[in-house]
Amino acid sequence: MKYALAAVALAGALWAVVSSQAPIHFAYRPIDFRLDSSETPQRHAPETMAGGVAVFDYNNDGYLDIFFTNGADIRTLKKTSPKYADRLFENDGHGNFKDVTARAGLAGTGFDNGVAIGDYDNDGYKDIFVAGVHGNHLYHNNGNGTFTDVTHQAGLDKPDPQYGPLWSVGGAWVDVNNDGLLDLFVVNYLAWDVNTEPACEASPGVLDYCHPKFYKPTPNQLFLNNGDGTFRDVSTESGIRAHPGKGMGAGVADYDLDGWMDIFVTNDKLHNSLFHNKGGGKFEEVAFETGVALAESGQFISGMGVDFRDIDNDGYPDIFFVALENETFPLFRNLGKGGFADITQSSGMTRLSTPMAGYSPTIADFDNDGWKDLFVTRGHVQSLGYASHVAIEQPNTVFRNLGGAKFQALTGEAGLTAQPPVRHRGSAVGDLNGDGRLDVVVTALAVPAELWINDSPAGNHWIEFQLQGTKSNRDGIGARIKLVAGGAAQYNQVSFAAGYASSSAGPSHFGLGQNRSADLVEIRWPSGITQQLKDVAADRVVKVIEPAK
Amino acid sequence: MSEAGVVVLAKPVSGHPLLVPAAVESARKWRFKPRTAPFKTILEVSFLLGGAPSQIADEGKASTATNPTAAAEAEQAVALAHQGKYELAVPHYRAAIALDPNLPGLDLNLGLAYFKLNRLAEAATAFKRATKADPSGFQPRVLLGMSYYGMRRFEDAAANLKLAAAQQPDNIELRFKLAQSYLWSKQYPAAMAEFRFLLTKNPDSAPVHMLLGEVLDADNKEDQATAEFEAAVKAGPREPEAHFGLGYLYWKQKRYDEALREFQAELANQPQHARALVYLGDAEMHAGADKAAADHLRQALKLDPKLRLAHLDLGIVLAAASDAAGAESHFREAIRLDPALPDAHYRLGRLWSSLGRDQDAQAEFAKVKELGAERPPAPLLTVKP
Repeated sequence: MKYALAAVALAGALWAVVSSQAPIHFAYRPIDFRLDSSETPQRHAPETMAGGVAVFDYNNDGYLDIFFTNGADIRTLKKTSPKYADRLFENDGHGNFKDVTARAGLAGTGFDNGVAIGDYDNDGYKDIFVAGVHGNHLYHNNGNGTFTDVTHQAGLDKPDPQYGPLWSVGGAWVDVNNDGLLDLFVVNYLAWDVNTEPACEASPGVLDYCHPKFYKPTPNQLFLNNGDGTFRDVSTESGIRAHPGKGMGAGVADYDLDGWMDIFVTNDKLHNSLFHNKGGGKFEEVAFETGVALAESGQFISGMGVDFRDIDNDGYPDIFFVALENETFPLFRNLGKGGFADITQSSGMTRLSTPMAGYSPTIADFDNDGWKDLFVTRGHVQSLGYASHVAIEQPNTVFRNLGGAKFQALTGEAGLTAQPPVRHRGSAVGDLNGDGRLDVVVTALAVPAELWINDSPAGNHWIEFQLQGTKSNRDGIGARIKLVAGGAAQYNQVSFAAGYASSSAGPSHFGLGQNRSADLVEIRWPSGITQQLKDVAADRVVKVIEPAK
Repeated sequence: MSEAGVVVLAKPVSGHPLLVPAAVESARKWRFKPRTAPFKTILEVSFLLGGAPSQIADEGKASTATNPTAAAEAEQAVALAHQGKYELAVPHYRAAIALDPNLPGLDLNLGLAYFKLNRLAEAATAFKRATKADPSGFQPRVLLGMSYYGMRRFEDAAANLKLAAAQQPDNIELRFKLAQSYLWSKQYPAAMAEFRFLLTKNPDSAPVHMLLGEVLDADNKEDQATAEFEAAVKAGPREPEAHFGLGYLYWKQKRYDEALREFQAELANQPQHARALVYLGDAEMHAGADKAAADHLRQALKLDPKLRLAHLDLGIVLAAASDAAGAESHFREAIRLDPALPDAHYRLGRLWSSLGRDQDAQAEFAKVKELGAERPPAPLLTVKP
């Protein structure tokens, strides 16, 4: 899949695509990675939270590669064995993934949890931020297949003066002040120390993972990119630090279309946070005022991963996050006036999701019908020993958007029971085989990762946009894309932060249904520059460079 | 009775169900004066003397008492008890015991008198002494268990009823009380086993399905609990609370359409069921039927103005209908009824926010953050809207 090629009709043959009756369907393919979070009978909290994954093109060959984070020895937080290595797999475009971790220098050293992809130095090569337990890492992409750990030089290795070393579960690259440089938002979970952690009994003498209430909240962090390879911690002055939580996921989008990127954070058994960007990277927390602090029930729920995109094609980014059983997967519709409405019930999501425990939600159009669907990795936070109480191991589910924000749950119908249920964690989305259908990479505790290759019925057309900012950040994160085809408009804002602890950094994908072209594509770059493309032929990846004006 | 005075057939006519098997068994062992032909008679069996049921009245047996005064007090007590004058019988029993503490069976009878008078704590004390004197006796054990049961000391009730049930494993009434005692003392695995045993004897018992459902619900086994209530509804569609219980379980699982149907069915059986009205209103609100919801919530509040959920939901419905004053009043009442629950504060804050009363809104939101704790729906056992 080379960008700017007129058509992308290659590689598919080797993927043995099998069409099916279900409107969305996936075929399982293995990949040689097994998440090892060092599970122990003591049930230390990080053991159940690992599993971030990223899909991105690390070597600019046009094929999406995969990066997995991995655990470490839980007591020392050191990767004391090769089984704990983070792994980078290079896609040869023919369905083969080659482990290039050693050459890339990405095996890591600590207990890694999440990953955020972004070209922070605008050199054209995507870099990697790895969020970990008591230690984060920034890997600079050298452009030659190798990476350099620049955490120290970047100023990202300092423990918090008040809280000490933090447990970061993920991050998001976002240009909060529109200076053309990606800044780094880090999602921190809770205050944890292996030596002082409480022991929680599921039954007499049997330990399980503790409720989050037994741990103190910690603040999220915002690091401003100085443009010289270093970052400045602006957590306090930006207003972020004033709202500590138990962060599990971050979605970034300009929800009120004021030109500044905002940040939504899910918290575990705590109210969510919505950081509204007042301009220049100064934030106010407005979750309660905008109606996204709590789920419909008014209860604190186990907020997990999140995605923040327009689901109902009205141009305003909506919020979808997941939680545990009986808590539903809340869906907040952006009303376009600075507020949101909880449409979990009216969308059908309450009924569909109540029995489910979810970790990583991603919003994408999996059947190319012009409506974005929802893919949710499922699995419970508790250990396997708790299986007599709740369903710990679960299959993944895709919720098909029936239009107008009504959903249909597809699990077995979508082929997602081809593998036994397990404790799924992170997920990343991208067209791995260049057939125009979005595939999903999913991690799971203590078992091999899963590649879910999209073999939904072909026929619908699609188009992808690989943006290259010039005045704006090179990745185009924050760009708002409006596409009109067949008289209907749809929208996406470029963001790689999606799901739980994961990053989907492929081109922006649109399904076109039966339309062979897009009548109009309008891109509003973070710089404020607006660009229009007309009559853009479908079924290809289009590289778009930000114009000077 | 046969001509030889042997009991051929004994059937209970009345009496405490738990004691009937023991009474019948004892009656069968007795011998009566031979007659010229088989005959039928009604015997009154009293648990008097020696710990074994004795037949008294016209065929009366001799007392084994050695102290004539104590015996007289005992006879007087028994006579009064037979006339239903338990209040008067008590001092005679107590006098007999004081005169001759070794007189067998008197503690049991004193306990029975207290039991009849619903003075359960005193009954339990007397039965406890009786079980000490006769540790393997069935009657004092079961009555001690029942006294604790009546006092809602279910853990103690279960311990004693369990011992009694070991002697009479097929006594269904006893096993039922034992199962309930396990349930209400939160001994869920034991309760499940008892109710499942009872279902082997009567698979179509709606109350047993319901109680097993309650155990399973309390033990977080929602799917199995629902299945039991579905069986209860099938076995006894008019059984009080069966539809409500099933509806509540659906409601907890956010299966609002099914819940709605069950609450309506309960209301067809019991139109004044306030809780069914509240949860019906709540389910209707979730289904977007705000007008029907408001009607049912108001009906519920007429029956019971202290239903917190009804106030909360009515507030939500009124807020959606732009009746800010009405919404505020119901949110405030919900908060008054349970200030520790965050949801009404949240809703009131959202109302203020929508009206531009930012400072008031912030105060309510601060309250939500302060209260914080999650509050999952109560198990069916303790549901209070």
